This record gives sequence, structure tokens and C-alpha cells, in this order.
Amino acid sequence: MIARVALFVWIVAWLALGFLWAPLVPVLDATTRVFYFHFPAAMVTCIALAWSMLHSALYLKRRDFVHDDHAAASAELGLLFCLVATISGSLWAKAMWGAYWNWDPRETSIFFLLLIYSAYLALRGSIDDPARRARLSAIYSCIAFVTVPLLIFIVPRIYFSLHPDPLFNTRGKPDMDGRIMACAGALVLGFTALFFWLLSLRVRLGRLERRRELALETRV
Amino acid sequence: MVLGVALLVWGLLFVYVLRLERRIRDLEKR
Repeated sequence: MIARVALFVWIVAWLALGFLWAPLVPVLDATTRVFYFHFPAAMVTCIALAWSMLHSALYLKRRDFVHDDHAAASAELGLLFCLVATISGSLWAKAMWGAYWNWDPRETSIFFLLLIYSAYLALRGSIDDPARRARLSAIYSCIAFVTVPLLIFIVPRIYFSLHPDPLFNTRGKPDMDGRIMACAGALVLGFTALFFWLLSLRVRLGRLERRRELALETRV
Repeated sequence: MVLGVALLVWGLLFVYVLRLERRIRDLEKR
């Protein structure tokens, strides 16, 4: 319980600092604050999808359903955080570029990522046999993850994009105020802890579902 | 104003997840 309360206080404190202590970027003005939701959500998306790929590979090696539970749960949560990053980015685009959606390379690549991982969940939903579902979706997840660094970090940098890159840029050093970076970094940690908490709940729920299915089968 | 809404949403989400965790723990005990 102490860890949960600490997480709650951590996120409240860093959000408050982000709003009240960190300066606003002159061009972005008040919309700078979207960054404290948008950037951590995007980073946690990468962590979640990498976690899903890791457990998919472990499932293929060990054939243990615990890994399948982790892979499925982290893909679901990765998709959720990706939606948060997309929606917050879209609101930002409206304020800065004049439209919610512009088919900018960054927006297009995130759209493809959403499609790829929605297809993963559709695949899982379409197979009844648990072992077959786990095996096929593990293979899919391993292949799908190849697109994540490509779509998030590489493609938007190949083509001209309106999206700024103040942190991961070609200039070799972060192009951002230290206070904004501190708040964003702390919130990445907070969002990551939140992800692992939600993940543990989803995995436990998956285990309960399997136990119930097993109980129903033995009753029949 | 925006900070207030953000903190309210986070607070509600936190309470919801805590309740969810308690419910899962109850189901695991059965």
C-alpha cells in the first residue's frame, strides 16, 4: 500500500511542479503542459510493447502461459498508452498546426502502430484454443515489435515532419529547459510504475479467468 | 484549472484501480 500511495504522491507532485514550477516554451505557450502527458505516454508505449515482445519470445521458448498473460496484458496496455499519446498529440496539433490530424509522418506512423497492435488483439480474440492462440500471437508480437522502433524513432526522422524532436535529436544534446526535462523524466518514471501496477492486475485477472475456464471444463 | 482537472482524473483513476485490486484479491482468496 505504501508503494501505491508513493506513486500517487509522485505523480501529483511532478504534475504540480510541471504546471507551476517549470517554464512555458515561448512558441508553445500554455500547450507546453500537454508534454507532461504526451511524452510519458509515448515512452511507456515503447516499454509496454517491448515487454510484450519479450514475454512472447519467452512463451515460444518455455510454453508457459504466464508469459502469454504478460504479453497480452502489456500489448493491451501499450495500445491504451499509445491512444493517450495519440489523443494528446492530436489536441496539441490542433493548437499548434491548426488541425487535429494532418497525416504528418509522426501521425501516420503512430496510426500504423495502432493498427498493427489492434490486429494483435483481434488475432487473440479470433482463436479459441488457448495453446494455439498463445503460440500464434507470440509469433505475431515478435514480428510486430520490429515495426516499433522503425515507426516511432526512424520513419518520422527520415521524412520532413512538423513534430519537434527536442530530446532525441541529431544535434547530440537535449534542446529543452532542464526543469521541463526533470518533470517529464520524473513523469516517465511515474507512468512506467503505473504501467507495471496495471500490468500485474491484468495478469492476475487473466490467471483468474483461466482458473474459471478450467473449473467450468471439469464440471462439464 | 487544467491542473485541477488533471489531478481529479488521476485521483479518480487511482481510487478505481485500488478498488479493482481489492476485488481481484477477494476473488483470488475464494
